[in-house]
Amino acid sequence: MAQDMVSITSVSKSFGSLRVLHDVNLSVQKSEVLCLIGPSGSGKSTLLRCVNFLETYDEGEILVEGRLVGYDQSSGTRRLMRGSQLCAMRRSIGMVFQHFNLWPHMTALDNVADPLRQVKGMSRKDAHSKAMATLEKVGLAAKADGYPAALSGGQQQRVAIARSLAMEPHLMLFDEPTSALDPELVGEVLQVMRDLANEGMTMIVVTHEIGFAARVADKVAFLDGGRIVRCGPPREVLNSPEEPRLKQFLQTYHERSQF
Amino acid sequence: MSFDLSAIVPYGPALLSGLANTLLCWIAGSLGAMALGFVVVLCRLSPIRLLSACALAYTEIIRGTPPLLVAFFIYGAGPSFGLVLEPLPAGIFALSIHGSAYMAEIYRVGFNAVPRGHVEAGVSLGLTPFAIFRRVQAPEALVAITPSLINALIVISKETSVLSIISVPELTYEVQKMSIETFAAFESLFALAIGYWIVVSSITKAGNFLERRVTRHTVRSA
Amino acid sequence: MVTIYISMLGTLVGIPIGTLILILRRCGVPGAELIARTYVSYFRSVPLLVQLLLFYNFLPVVGIDMSATTASVLALGLISGAYVAEILRGVLGSISPGQTEAARSLGYGSAAIWRAILLPQVFRLALPALMNELTLMMKSSSLISAVGIAELARTSQNIVSTTFRPIEIYAVTCVIYIAITQILLLTGRVFEHRMNRARR
Repeated sequence: MAQDMVSITSVSKSFGSLRVLHDVNLSVQKSEVLCLIGPSGSGKSTLLRCVNFLETYDEGEILVEGRLVGYDQSSGTRRLMRGSQLCAMRRSIGMVFQHFNLWPHMTALDNVADPLRQVKGMSRKDAHSKAMATLEKVGLAAKADGYPAALSGGQQQRVAIARSLAMEPHLMLFDEPTSALDPELVGEVLQVMRDLANEGMTMIVVTHEIGFAARVADKVAFLDGGRIVRCGPPREVLNSPEEPRLKQFLQTYHERSQF
Repeated sequence: MSFDLSAIVPYGPALLSGLANTLLCWIAGSLGAMALGFVVVLCRLSPIRLLSACALAYTEIIRGTPPLLVAFFIYGAGPSFGLVLEPLPAGIFALSIHGSAYMAEIYRVGFNAVPRGHVEAGVSLGLTPFAIFRRVQAPEALVAITPSLINALIVISKETSVLSIISVPELTYEVQKMSIETFAAFESLFALAIGYWIVVSSITKAGNFLERRVTRHTVRSA
Repeated sequence: MVTIYISMLGTLVGIPIGTLILILRRCGVPGAELIARTYVSYFRSVPLLVQLLLFYNFLPVVGIDMSATTASVLALGLISGAYVAEILRGVLGSISPGQTEAARSLGYGSAAIWRAILLPQVFRLALPALMNELTLMMKSSSLISAVGIAELARTSQNIVSTTFRPIEIYAVTCVIYIAITQILLLTGRVFEHRMNRARR
């Protein structure tokens, strides 16, 4: 079997006395799209944030492209990675946040170009052209000189996607990318994500958009209470749920979309 | 640097009286400021244009003037206006005047911070304006101004030291006197600084505690 | 009127000092936060007059030989730095942590995060409060240091009891300072108006 892009093995995490992840096992192949679904508090965002080490994990291993995330085990014992190692690791992982997290004092173009200059050391000219190209890709070239405050939610999120995308990551993580958007604006963001998937980007997406998961994901994992209850192709997980908790979860979606 | 504490002992009573005067100036000055400030803000919010303009002018001018200057004015230039005061009352008066401008502004901001909707709810329920003021606006404004109010009180506690210049016999004044007589200027001033540090930071911590307790029911903006 | 120049310079020096204290507080190096907090607590708790008097008396004791001007500017810089640090700290707290997260997830190192994301915003947002505080400090300190120096000149002649007879001198100084402070007030406001208009 080809090496997994992401390999999560027996991962557990606690916040103090509260266990949020129990012995989680998942793997994602290159160009695969994995959707994490589940009720609030199920640990899906926490798990996602462990992959680029915005959250630490206590037990188990997370490997991205074969390398251990967040920890250095070269000397036999596990120690936290040094800051510089973390930074280097994060260059190949992109993340898109629920609340976009664009930097308000920079234009859309600068938001996308600045990481290229600061982290990748590109020249101003090169960074700008790459940023423009990426903004065009998400359909926002016209808004390049606009500040985030002047953009709609959907536009801001697309700029955020462009910002991560311009770094040419091997893996992209999406943390409820459309949850903070007006329903009308959700579509434009999902479309961009769909295009990315079709181009072969490896993606892990935490989402409540079950429709997106059904149509775009290669694998869907349902989490509840910090455990993976079910994981498999969308057809199986979403159309023939067996576990009662999963059935109950999907039920509310069916009810809400019929009117 | 020889630290001869025995030289300080005879000054004990003087230092204590200095401390007492500092506290007196602080408390009296603060109370005066709060009371006077209330009057000023009433003028400011009054529908009578002239009163409002006067209050605004008063606030702007006084806020722009350092407390020491106000103190000079009252103590030094006062007599030419027929106001002859001993240093201590002059000092308290100065702190009250200076503080009142800040208090008025704090009250005004707090008053405006009460959401219109809350007042409208009171009106729609048939409450009299006075009842609305008493049960809705005053309590809510009070919670809103607590942090600023406490901060202003702390500022006044520090301003008392400046009164030493117009010879109010408060702590800084007494310590300076002592330092001249004992030739131990550095040690005395150092002790004074540490003294203020302890006192003011204690007041600050107490203020923070009070502030947390008073605002514990408010919704914190995310 | 050298004192006005000194206080302007001193309070402005406080800005870089305050920024350093802010970074010290948040940099995560063990012990740094405590140092920063102690610094701010001390310089904000002790009244300005006492600070200046202490500073003037401190230098001969420690044996540092500095011109009075340099000493004053340094003293004021340290003091206003504490106030600046506190204002900046409040503003820093209002910047959503998500922005730092986004930067970290893109691979930004700490220095880059401060330089490109945090400091530009902090200064922009803190500008009105900073302007306010600095004008206040400038006015207070120019007056106090002038008087403070006069104090020292007097006390060095060993005059013990209250000899505030020369009220006339103070009255004149009074008038001069009223004029100066009003000018400072006005310039401060004009500057602030210009700043606000530029931002719109």
